[in-house]
Formats: sequence, structure tokens, C-alpha cells
Amino acid sequence: MPDPIHQFEIKRLVPFDLFGLDATFTNSSLFMVLAAGIISGFLIVSMRGRSLVPTRLQSLSEILYEFVANMVRDTMGAGHGAMKYFPLVFTIFIFILTLNMLGMIPGFFTVTSHLAVTAGLALLVFVIVLAVGFAKNGVGFLKLFVPSGVPIYVLPLVVMIEIISFLSRPISHSVRLFANMLAGHITLKVFAGFIIMLLGAGGAYGVLAILPLTMATALTALEFLVAFLQAYVFAMLTCMYLNDALHPGH
Amino acid sequence: MSTDDNGQGPGSGKLSPHDRAQFERRVSELGDKLGKVRAEQAAEDAANRGSATRGRGMSYGIRMASELVAAVIVGGLMGYGLDLLLGSKPWLFLLFFVLGFAAGVLNVMRGYTRLQADISRETGGKIGHSVPDDED
Repeated sequence: MPDPIHQFEIKRLVPFDLFGLDATFTNSSLFMVLAAGIISGFLIVSMRGRSLVPTRLQSLSEILYEFVANMVRDTMGAGHGAMKYFPLVFTIFIFILTLNMLGMIPGFFTVTSHLAVTAGLALLVFVIVLAVGFAKNGVGFLKLFVPSGVPIYVLPLVVMIEIISFLSRPISHSVRLFANMLAGHITLKVFAGFIIMLLGAGGAYGVLAILPLTMATALTALEFLVAFLQAYVFAMLTCMYLNDALHPGH
Repeated sequence: MSTDDNGQGPGSGKLSPHDRAQFERRVSELGDKLGKVRAEQAAEDAANRGSATRGRGMSYGIRMASELVAAVIVGGLMGYGLDLLLGSKPWLFLLFFVLGFAAGVLNVMRGYTRLQADISRETGGKIGHSVPDDED
């Protein structure tokens, strides 16, 4: 049976040593650069006309903009303060979406199926939330951990629970994207492996191969949905966490 | 469709009985066709909405599960770390494990409140949308 984990293997392309740190350019880095290139290329080319009546490509970028802008406005309020974080949310959303979609092309590497990448993105959001929270509210940001209307004798317990809840954010944020992409691609590979095994067994078994083929086809459709949905959820949660940083104290 | 009883179109008086019958037949045929197309459209919309809701429901489910587990892990790790620092094995681990579980439940409850808010906002929009359709 073909190894379903093989697709996630990191290959070292250009060894590179950065002051003792291993900063090798891997296939993962290659696909990140590719994604960044595709996104920049698409946005630059599609918006080159800047026409009042958009062309097909331009309206595609405008739909993307509207989609993320609505997400930001819905979760963080319509004020100018919220739209200041639009570039961050848009970058995160389109980067993850492109990486997920690139991963759906057979033979391509799925960058978001590595915890190191998703944890990096989640920690970036976490640090930005902390920085924005303290910059905007000073010590008042700590009100996030002290819900109002709690009796004083259970307050220490509640504050501990709130702190754990806050610290668990980057973990659930990153593990969700990583686990979804990893599990989806493994399932797809396993079912594809069944087809080959049944065909290889020959004779009447070959007819049975239609079953995993049906399953693999349905799973591919599901994976496209998951690829979009997870990028959306990641960006959405980024908005919600930033909203907490802007307005602490529920 | 109310074409049968008061089908007095503009200039219906000028039509011969034969033309008038033909006209009315064409109108009712058109009405039938339109009704069929509308029903198909509605079924298609409902199917699309069903699959979209299922996908979203699944993503919400996974989200809740991961938030519960993440909080328990963070609580357990915090307790374990404090135990190592203070040499109080295994008490702080047990305490923080339970606190982590509480935090996980809190996460899930918050997520659920948000989900409810989203749904009520969306159905509010849907009701507003379907008003023009009720007029025929």
C-alpha cells in the first residue's frame, strides 16, 4: 500500500545556515513563496485596469475584498478602528486559502498540514493581540481576565480559568487548521490507495474498486469545502481575538 | 395565480371569443411553466442551503471540540510546569487539569452563544428577504 504520510515529507532543497540556525529552503518554503507570488501576481494584474466597471478578474479581487471587509466589519464593528486591521486579516485569509487550495492539486505539497506553519501563524496573531491590547488599553487590557459581576470569593478561580482559556487560543487556533488539512489529505490518500490495491488484486476485486473511487471523489469535493472553510475560520477567529484586544471586558 | 376569473386584459373587448380563449390558454400555460421553474429554483436553493449549513455545522463542531481539548492541554501543561518549579508534584497538575477543563467548557459555551447570535442574525435577514416573494 502507498504510504499516506509520504506526501507530508519535508525535502531540503537549498541548505542554508543562518548564524547557526537551520534556515534551509525546503519544499514547504517553496510553496509559501509560490503562494505569495500567485497572490501578489493575481491582485496586481487584476487591479491594473482600476476601471469603474470592473472586468472579470477585477470583480474577482473586489469580491475577495468585500468578503474579508464584511467579515472584519461584522466581528469588530464598522468604525475606522476596525478597518485598520483589515490588511492583517486579508493577508492571513488569502495566504491560508491559497496554500490550502494549492495543496488540493495532486502532487503538490500542503504547507498548512504542518503544525510548525499553522502554529507560527497562530502565534503571530496571539502576539499581535497582546501588543494591540496593551497598546490600546494599557493595564485595562487585564480586564479581559476579570469578568464583571463575579463574587470576590470565587474571583481568583475565575481569573485562573480565564487565563487558561486565553492561553489555549493559539493552540486550538493552530491545531484546528493543521488537523483538518492533515486528516483530510491522509483520508484521501488512503482511499486512493484502496483503489490501487483492489485493481492490483485483479479479477472480481477490480470491480469493487468503484467503491473507494466514489468515496475519493466525494472526499475531494469535501476537501475543497474544508480548504475554504478553514481559511475562513482562521481569519474569522483572528478578527474575534483582535476585537477582544480592542474592547476587553465582556 | 388569479388569471381565470378576472382575465380582463387591456383591450379584451376587441378580441373575438376564439382569440380570447386562445389568449387565456396561453396565459395559463405560461403560469404553469413559471410555477414549475419557481419550484425548481426553490428546491435548488434549499439543497444549496442544506449543504452549506452542513459544512458550517461541521466546522463549528470541530471548532468546539478543539477548543475544549486545547484548554485541557494548556491547563495540564501549566500545572505540570508549576509542579516542576515548586516541587509540589502532583497537586498543582491535578488542580490545573480541572481548571483547564472548566476553561474548555467556558470556551465551548462562548462559542455556542456566538453561534446562536449568528444564526438569529441570519434568519432575521432571511425573513426580510422572503417578503417580496410572498406578494404573488
